[in-house]
Amino acid sequence: MFDSMVQNFILMIEKYWKVFLVTGLTGTLELTAIAVAFGILFGSILALIRRSNILPLRWLVAIYIEIIRGTPLLLQLYLFYFMLPQWLPMLELSKFACVAIALSLNSAAYVSEVIRSGIQAVDRGQNEAARCLGLSHVQSMLYIVMPQAIKNILPALGNEFVMMLKETSLASTFLIGDLMTSYKLVNGATYLVLEPLIFVGIIYFVMTFIISKLVGLFERRMAKGD
Amino acid sequence: MIKTVDLHKSFGKLHVLKGVSEHIAPQEVVSIIGPSGSGKSTFLRCLNLMEVPEQGQIFLDGVEITGKKVDVDLYRQRMGMVFQQFNVFPHLTVEKNITLAPVLLKKKTSAEAKEMAAVLLNKVGLYDKLNEHPSRLSGGQKQRLAIVRALAMEPEIMLFDEPTSALDPEMVGEVLNVIKGLVTEGMTTVIVTHEMGFAREISDRVLFMDDGIIAEQGPPEQLFGNSQNPRTKEFLSKVLY
Repeated sequence: MFDSMVQNFILMIEKYWKVFLVTGLTGTLELTAIAVAFGILFGSILALIRRSNILPLRWLVAIYIEIIRGTPLLLQLYLFYFMLPQWLPMLELSKFACVAIALSLNSAAYVSEVIRSGIQAVDRGQNEAARCLGLSHVQSMLYIVMPQAIKNILPALGNEFVMMLKETSLASTFLIGDLMTSYKLVNGATYLVLEPLIFVGIIYFVMTFIISKLVGLFERRMAKGD
Repeated sequence: MIKTVDLHKSFGKLHVLKGVSEHIAPQEVVSIIGPSGSGKSTFLRCLNLMEVPEQGQIFLDGVEITGKKVDVDLYRQRMGMVFQQFNVFPHLTVEKNITLAPVLLKKKTSAEAKEMAAVLLNKVGLYDKLNEHPSRLSGGQKQRLAIVRALAMEPEIMLFDEPTSALDPEMVGEVLNVIKGLVTEGMTTVIVTHEMGFAREISDRVLFMDDGIIAEQGPPEQLFGNSQNPRTKEFLSKVLY
């Protein structure tokens, strides 16, 4: 039984490694990178708005963040996957684009909270001291508050990357071409369950393990700099 | 030099300043004493608009700065502030703590600012810490750095908000000495303090604040030695023993 499993495993990798590593892994990494990159971009903007004085905008952003964080990602994926092409038919969005947009908008909500709490963790006196010296609000943020906030934010962003890497697996619901999709493809072609699951699991694990180790290393170096 | 007219400030329902009118003359040294919660710090923080009063006016050299069109940042460059909690910048070296603002605000070139930092640090005995980060400094050293940082902007007035209250007792002296040196050089100074002996020694005038107003004021000998207001007497009897 075990022998045949090992044999199946090797045969499967020989025949389908391209499905796993080219289609699957690339798709997962692409989705993750897009989601986190736009997540950081939009998340920063959301965080800035939440710290601004424009009340109606602040409320809108707060509501947005609460809704995103309070509903399942899978539900959000369904919503965008089916509704975006109807709402914005002129854009002719691909399946991949719809999923990427949903993931980015989800990531933005979490990242904005990461940035916001990172800034809040910097002692208020730092900004006060900077302003008392005559620095403008922007200068104070740029030279005094953000450099200190970054130390809190970067490790948390690394964790967001790890989270997103795993969550992109939900995109396989729509056979979008990520790692989990490659499991489904191989499973459909070979009727094997355990072997492709194990292989896909190993790939996920190796990636998240490496990334979290890198984040940890980075965190320690940051701490030393103080 | 600085004049305030009927300042009022509330935090939520708490009415902290209930009409403070004061005039601080050039080169004058004014200490503000009083029980906690009396509005001392709030008054001081209003002077450089770290707190914006809801009512009343502040004039600097005759120009109103409480109006809407005033560039607060420009005004703050003319006043130095030192905090109870030091608030030195932990991510910058001692030198950079001092040079950042003057260089960024184009008051000085980088070379000029560095030169000035060296001179000032020498004066307060911290020159050997030039390239250290503040985490390597003691509380007293941090506060001396904070004073030097403010001085590097060449302010016309220095505001001190309980500069020694967060210090270990043995470090109070070194900070007070630096402030005393400044005062001797003729710096206009407003200091909120609980160091009664120090206030008595260096001040031209002492303000006693209680419940959001200046309850009594006068030269230190009079206020400490012969106060007229029963509340001043009560406060002093509690802190001087």
